[in-house]
Order: sequence, then C-alpha cells, then structure tokens
Amino acid sequence: MSDIKTTKRYQNPELFEQLAIEYAVGSLQGRARKRFEALMETHFYLRAVVDAYENKFASLVELLPDVQPSKKVWNNIDSHIKASIKASEQAKPKVAWWKSAFFKQSLGMAMMTLVISSILLFNPMTKDSSATATAYNAILESDTVGVVAVTKILKSDMKLSIDIMKPLNIDENMELALWCHPKDGGMPMKMGTISKQGKTEIKISKKEWQEMKNVGRLEISIEPKNSKNTREPKGKVILKGNLNSAH
Amino acid sequence: MEDIYAELLQKTAQGDQLAFKQLYEQCSPKLMSLCIRLMKTEALAEDVLQEGFIKIWDKADTFTPGKGRAMTWMSTVIRNKGLDKLRSLKTTALETEIQYEGLEFASVDLEPDKLENLSQDVKDLMLCLDKLKPDQRECILLSYYYGHTHQELANKLGRPLGTIKAWIRRGLEDLRPCLT
Repeated sequence: MSDIKTTKRYQNPELFEQLAIEYAVGSLQGRARKRFEALMETHFYLRAVVDAYENKFASLVELLPDVQPSKKVWNNIDSHIKASIKASEQAKPKVAWWKSAFFKQSLGMAMMTLVISSILLFNPMTKDSSATATAYNAILESDTVGVVAVTKILKSDMKLSIDIMKPLNIDENMELALWCHPKDGGMPMKMGTISKQGKTEIKISKKEWQEMKNVGRLEISIEPKNSKNTREPKGKVILKGNLNSAH
Repeated sequence: MEDIYAELLQKTAQGDQLAFKQLYEQCSPKLMSLCIRLMKTEALAEDVLQEGFIKIWDKADTFTPGKGRAMTWMSTVIRNKGLDKLRSLKTTALETEIQYEGLEFASVDLEPDKLENLSQDVKDLMLCLDKLKPDQRECILLSYYYGHTHQELANKLGRPLGTIKAWIRRGLEDLRPCLT
C-alpha cells in the first residue's frame, strides 16, 4: 500500500521535478537522496528528468579555474586501462584459437575452420546479435514540449514499460498507440495501446524481443479507439525517439 | 560553440587510447578543479578524478552527442563519483584549503575575453542564476561546486538551517521555469 502511495507521489510532475532539480544541484542529501536514487532505478522518468537537469548544471564546470592534477593520476589511469585491455584479450573466446590455428595448420584444417565459421555466421539459430543486449530504452520527445515519455524493454521480465511523464490531452474517442519502426524501413510493428498518463506495461513475446535488435525508432500516434487498422499509424505522430540497446 | 571534445569522446568509445589521452590532457584541469572543491583534499580529489576517468573510458559508448555536450557529460560522471565517494567516506566537512573557497570564478561580471570562451549553455545558465536573489544564488552554487550539506551551509554562512533550506528550495523553484 505504501509503495503505491510512494509511486503516485512521485508521479506528481511538480514534486518530482523539484526533487530532480534538487538532486542534480546536490542539495537533496542524506536518506532523501538515497531514497530518490532507489526510486530512479524503478521510475525511469525520474532518471530522465534528473539527467536533463544534471546536463544544465554541468556547464558550471566551465567557469572553474584550471587545476593541474599530478602526473601519477594519468599514469594510474593508463596502467588500469592497459591491464583491462590485456585481461579482456586473454578472456576472448575460442575464435582466437581457431584464428591462430588457421595460419599454422594444413589446408585441410583451414577448410574445416572455414566451414565451421560459415555455420556459426550464417546459421539463423546461432546468429543473434541481440543475444548480448539485456535491455533497450528510448526517450520519446515531442517537437514542442521536449521529453514526455521514457520507454524501457527488459529481457529479464520480457516487458515493455512506458512512462508518460507529462499527461497528454487527447479526445475521449481517441487512444495512444506505440509503434516500433525497423532500422531499414518497412512496415512498423504495433506494440499496443498505452495510457495517456503514468506507466503502461506491455508483455512481449520472445519473437518480439528478438525483433528489437532491428528496431531503430519508437513512435506514439493518436488513433481512433478500437481502430481496426493495426498495420501502420494513420493518426498524428506526437512522440518519437530512437531505441538504444544496453548490454 | 562547437563541441570540441565530442569527437575525442567518440573515438574513446571505439577504444582509441590516443584520443582518450588527449581528452584527459584537455579536460582534466577543469575536472580536477571541480574534484578538489568537492573533496576538499588533493589526495581524495585525485582519487575521484582517476576513478571518474576510468568510468569515462568504460562508458564512453553511452555518450550521445545529440543529448548534450561531451564536457557536461564528463562533468556529471566525475561529480557523481565525487558525491558517491563523499557519502561512502561518511566524512564531516573537512576544512577547505583557503585557495579553493569562494565563488569569484562564477561571478556574473566576467571579463569579456573569459565570456567569449564560454559555451552558450553556461551563458544561458548564468543569466538564469543572475535572476535569483544573491543569497539563493550563493547557496545553490556552493551546493553544486562544494557539495555542502544544508547544515554545512548554515554553519558557513551563519544562518539558521531553516533559512538555508528555504533559500535553496525557493531558488530552485524560481530557476526551473528559466531552465526549461
């Protein structure tokens, strides 16, 4: 019950904008800051608003006079990076072994390597570049009022969540539809209808998850309620944003 | 004003170590200046700068040029590292070395040649801050640059805690419409 109250409280734009700006400037402190950080983990519109304010305030750094750090700082950074690159190279998968073998083994062995590589590269059962992505997100903006909604798609719960941060005024007989547009053009995929304010969650199928790697842009359009057309947006597109993958 | 660091940051995201070194050489003096104000001691400031730049190297691919300037993105990474460190150390405010006190560098009456080198973002922000009452402006800037708590500000400025909280709250309320 208290969770519901807290959630509703932070969906009040006046309140969360004030808290977001206080967080960004650093005046939200102690337990309140920790509580707000925990909320940002689950309410990604808070994260988006904080990001926007942090971006505004960060330009204050330009006003600071220069202070030269000691040389050891760069030396430590450089050592750390070189060590991490070395570690990641050592941890590379068996492909590296096959590659080195390619130059050392006989022609027959090389041919076998090529065959195996071809199977790995072209077999649709194994070719899935989204396998490494664990989530996708998109910030949806309107041409007039900036950031309005944040979308997150998580593999862990196979859900698409969308938070409308600024309530949208649409006629009673209309509804909002969410569309995924492929990177290389073609017909969009309708993900469903969404609420004009607050959070909407849409369960996605395994196939839809796999399709996400080919999606370049999300859009929200206004469509007549219970519209039979589900192939592409017919109404006005009011929000759009690029889909980014996270690993 | 062109974002001169965006290209270096994008090259860094592709694993270009030379670009990252150039980025460090050009940006670290400003970011060290921020760290030393937040952390109060040079040793802690250098720790934060180091950890922050390692994070910049690791996360450079998450920088999106269209969403903001490279320097603001890096400043946010470094400042959040500093605030996390301050909290993990659970230190009470240490005495700031005298040369790092004050806000003269953020004066609205900057010399023309200094103003010329500033981005439009910071010029706009300064105009917004200039509309606030001086006390509100001072508290907000001290919070940002020095990470002072309300209580530390109250002690530093010799004002009641409630007054400080009200100055910051009202100052930020007044600032919001100007920023959006």
